[in-house]
Amino acid sequence: MRTETPILAVRGLTTELATEIGWCRVVDDVSFVLYPGEVLGLVGESGCGKTMTALSILGLVPQPQARVTAGEVLFEGRDLLRLPERELRRVRGKEIAMIFQEPMTSLNPVFTVGDQIAETLRVHEGLSRRAARARALELLRLVGIPAPEERLDCYPHELSGGMRQRVTIAMALSCSPKVLLADEPTTALDVTIQAQILDLLERLQAELGLAVILITHDLGVVAEFARRVLVMYAGRIVEEGPVADIFAEPLHPYTQGLLASLPDPRAEIVRLEPIPGNVPVPGEIRRGCRFAPRCRFARSGCRDADPPLFRRDARAVACIRSPLAGAPGPGAEAAEATAPVMP
Amino acid sequence: MTAPLVEVEGLEKRFELRRAAGLRRVRRELQAVAGVSFAIARGETLGLVGESGCGKSTTGRLLLRLLAPSSGVIRFDGREIQHLSERELRPLRRRMGIVFQDPWSALDPRMTIEEIVTEPLVVHGVGDRASRRRRAAALLERVGLARIHADRYPHEFSGGQRQRIGIARALALEPEFLVCDEPVSALDVSIRAQILNLLLDLQRELGLCCLFISHDLGVVRYVSDRVAVMYLGKIVEIAPTARLYGRPLHPYTQALLSAVPIPRPGRRPRILLEGDPPSPLAPPPGCRFHTRCPRAFAPCAHIEPELVEVAPGHRVACHLHTPARATGGAA
Repeated sequence: MRTETPILAVRGLTTELATEIGWCRVVDDVSFVLYPGEVLGLVGESGCGKTMTALSILGLVPQPQARVTAGEVLFEGRDLLRLPERELRRVRGKEIAMIFQEPMTSLNPVFTVGDQIAETLRVHEGLSRRAARARALELLRLVGIPAPEERLDCYPHELSGGMRQRVTIAMALSCSPKVLLADEPTTALDVTIQAQILDLLERLQAELGLAVILITHDLGVVAEFARRVLVMYAGRIVEEGPVADIFAEPLHPYTQGLLASLPDPRAEIVRLEPIPGNVPVPGEIRRGCRFAPRCRFARSGCRDADPPLFRRDARAVACIRSPLAGAPGPGAEAAEATAPVMP
Repeated sequence: MTAPLVEVEGLEKRFELRRAAGLRRVRRELQAVAGVSFAIARGETLGLVGESGCGKSTTGRLLLRLLAPSSGVIRFDGREIQHLSERELRPLRRRMGIVFQDPWSALDPRMTIEEIVTEPLVVHGVGDRASRRRRAAALLERVGLARIHADRYPHEFSGGQRQRIGIARALALEPEFLVCDEPVSALDVSIRAQILNLLLDLQRELGLCCLFISHDLGVVRYVSDRVAVMYLGKIVEIAPTARLYGRPLHPYTQALLSAVPIPRPGRRPRILLEGDPPSPLAPPPGCRFHTRCPRAFAPCAHIEPELVEVAPGHRVACHLHTPARATGGAA
């Protein structure tokens, strides 16, 4: 267990989405911490609640169709969920910044990129027009945009996808945030451009000592970029731990299934072993473990109650069969007594 | 190798773009496919990889003659089909199928699943109503759906199930040649593996000849017998799968392979390409990759490398692996 103080602590976060059948929990009692200067991967398939978790942290859930109904998000001693909108706005962008999959989500097509970066600086940092422009130029250089003087006066549509993502990174970093939420930052990009952007994020993260939550569906990206990882399924965190441990020995059958589903370009694979069934949609979730309907190890106990996250050292898993839960798992030694960590 | 079912030689496709520039209209040409040659045998899967805009999807559509080539030869079962009219193509169309990327837009939302799956049979006047209904049921079962799904509509299905429906439709006429254009790119990881296994099983069971187009090098490795790598409208390297992944020779193939994040933690050397791919409206002279190539040298900027065989079945278009020639000859 780390003794450091987390920079961000999320506890019992619950977010609901309005659907045809009423309010459904899309983020369900999610708790985790983020330490200063670390890269935390948040991985899961579409609809698992990973993006909604990030949006909930920043108070950006789309209203009125979504609402945060419980939990707290502690950032530097303040609960962001209970902060008045005016104060929250000061945190957003300045202390905690976010970048999205599609750069055009955060770029305005009718302003030049220079003006857009400068605007952030003038609002949050109170810089003069001239100083803001000079800083914007510096930022474009920082994110590796060639000929930044010329790019400053470009409109977003004049840039390639990779360049646009560099601009949104420049904007996100303009006020020197402490935390960066990166939601699928490279998913829309080609693989050689993705490598450039990941390389850039990695360099900036180390240079600036940023704490990053990297949200992605790509286990490859997590393996190469994150140090610790949270695996989400149907609104819950099902596994947590250091990247090296999780990839070497995944404990949750879902994590195991995801890894067995991946065609690795570096290895000869005879047969992939897919997870049967479909990713559940909100509202479809039944009693008991959410993964049980697709789990080949499921037994009667799995359908009775939703398993808590059983924790030991740096690892945690929400599976009653896991050695961490005190039950013998596949090939596992008898586990020591572990207490479920639940509020 | 048996006689190829599908073969292309010097295949080119140019699209004309018109754009207003002041009072004048400017005509510009986008060369999507710039002289591509390869063959696919019966029962073989050729993977076609490359990044967006490299011309891989256009190549697939040309092979099916959904597009007409600007020049070059396309042979299907020994017969040249590049000049055939829509009418002349019709009997051949029965023998070809395509699976699209997006299972959300590829299915007509107003048709039932049975109507969707049997539409190719109706179009080609195959069987009567009852036999088509039986065929639909058999197809749905083969792709892992149930008979009871036949009367439902696309919106009732998940992405993975819709892709199964798309595959059933593509197989309705028992084609010999199937183009799969990014068939799993829109699917979640856990569903992707299901669909890949299904495609692999069907390909083997039916002895299909497949062109499998994807940007995902892992996916292509899993399903292909041979792999071709495209860059800006050209094939830069083509080889049997194990050879291409084990011993890639073209610097672009090497960079592409090293750029894919792999699900195993730890540092490994990465070849970082600088800049973006050049616009296909103005491809660079010489080797098209030289502007981003970490190993470019003198001839690369002027002389276009030929695709030459460097080992059995392994061809590469790179001056590092071929003696540079001032004039191009047949390789």
